Amino acid sequence: MEGLAGVASGDARVLMSEDHDRRAAEMRLVRAAQQGDLLAFERLYRDNERKVFGLCFRLSSDPALAEELTQEVFVRAWRKLGSFRGESAFSSWLYPLTLNVARSERRSRGRRDARIVATEDPERLERTPRAPAPEAGFDLEKAIATLPKGARAVFVLHDVEGRTHEEIAAMLSIAPGTSKAQLFRARRLLREALVS
Amino acid sequence: MTCHELDERLDDWVDGALTGAEALAVESHLAGCAQCRGRERQLRQLLAHAAALPRGVAPPRDLWPGIAERIERGSFWSALAASWHPLVLAAAAAVVLGLSMLLWNGSGPEAVRTVAMPGTSPSLRPVTVTGIADPVLAAAARDYEAAATALLEALQRRRAALPPEDLARVEANLEVIDRALEEVRQALVKDPASPELNRMLVATHRKKVDVLRRVVRLSTAL
Repeated sequence: MEGLAGVASGDARVLMSEDHDRRAAEMRLVRAAQQGDLLAFERLYRDNERKVFGLCFRLSSDPALAEELTQEVFVRAWRKLGSFRGESAFSSWLYPLTLNVARSERRSRGRRDARIVATEDPERLERTPRAPAPEAGFDLEKAIATLPKGARAVFVLHDVEGRTHEEIAAMLSIAPGTSKAQLFRARRLLREALVS
Repeated sequence: MTCHELDERLDDWVDGALTGAEALAVESHLAGCAQCRGRERQLRQLLAHAAALPRGVAPPRDLWPGIAERIERGSFWSALAASWHPLVLAAAAAVVLGLSMLLWNGSGPEAVRTVAMPGTSPSLRPVTVTGIADPVLAAAARDYEAAATALLEALQRRRAALPPEDLARVEANLEVIDRALEEVRQALVKDPASPELNRMLVATHRKKVDVLRRVVRLSTAL
């Protein structure tokens, strides 16, 4: 007789099979897009737009800039698609690309200060897309948007996206100790916002 | 352990990064300090909140049309650049090299006629050249001129559809070709019988037509 362990094992096999099928379908789309099929690339975009936009939005705390960054990510992804070999999921391949776009945007544009000032405008934050807050009275998305950019990036990557300090250090070209210090700062500021 | 010391270690504690004596010290302090327990609870609440945020956020509008437009325009320019620049460089190099040799023994100037298309910018005007001695080459040059004129007219009709910066690039590159044609033409009026110059003129016309054909075909695909 099949026990609970057997049922669980069967469920795991089904999940692995579904994941394999999904990756295979994704790779077919990638190969078609690599051959110049824009419709296939649009499918890849539709499958990943929310993740990329979510990360861009949280890193920039500016919905209009997040739209530009998201578009830039996918334009660059199209150009670099030939280098994608399918060793990882397409979304994993997009992740460092998204961070690079967000970082290069911050470096290259002189409007950074204007963005920070704009973020402090409460009406602007009212217009931002946000996830529903699980706790009434505290909007975490809004509070994240008020963090200094370095602390915000580390908090988003560590506590929202679940990355380790070593991964963050490599992705942001900083020391792991700097990542920890920025996380400490971000959490401190958010805790203050939580009680205020 | 003081409350301040605990506060310094609270992040590591909730992240499960403390072990051994440090972990025991934190645990012991928390057991006897309601204020620090409150801080710990608050931090765990914040982290649970953050972990519960959805990874994805829907963009407020459909971003795909803008992406597709940039990709298609990029493809247009990369396709153009792949075919165009070698042609322009080859034409310019051939003209400079050929002229530097041929003008060593230059002769007197002759009349040159240039016909402008009304309402077009200078770089999009067709250029008509006279003075080719070889009748076969002269006929070929006329054919290329006619083709270039037709393609320029087609490009004129596409002007409004082309982004201004792209149109500026087309014009700038056509000017390079026209300058090359002008160089050959100036050399021809000095030495109209030169077979090298005659062939060079026809070859440069052919390159211009090739480039124009690609521009018009690719701009139609925009």
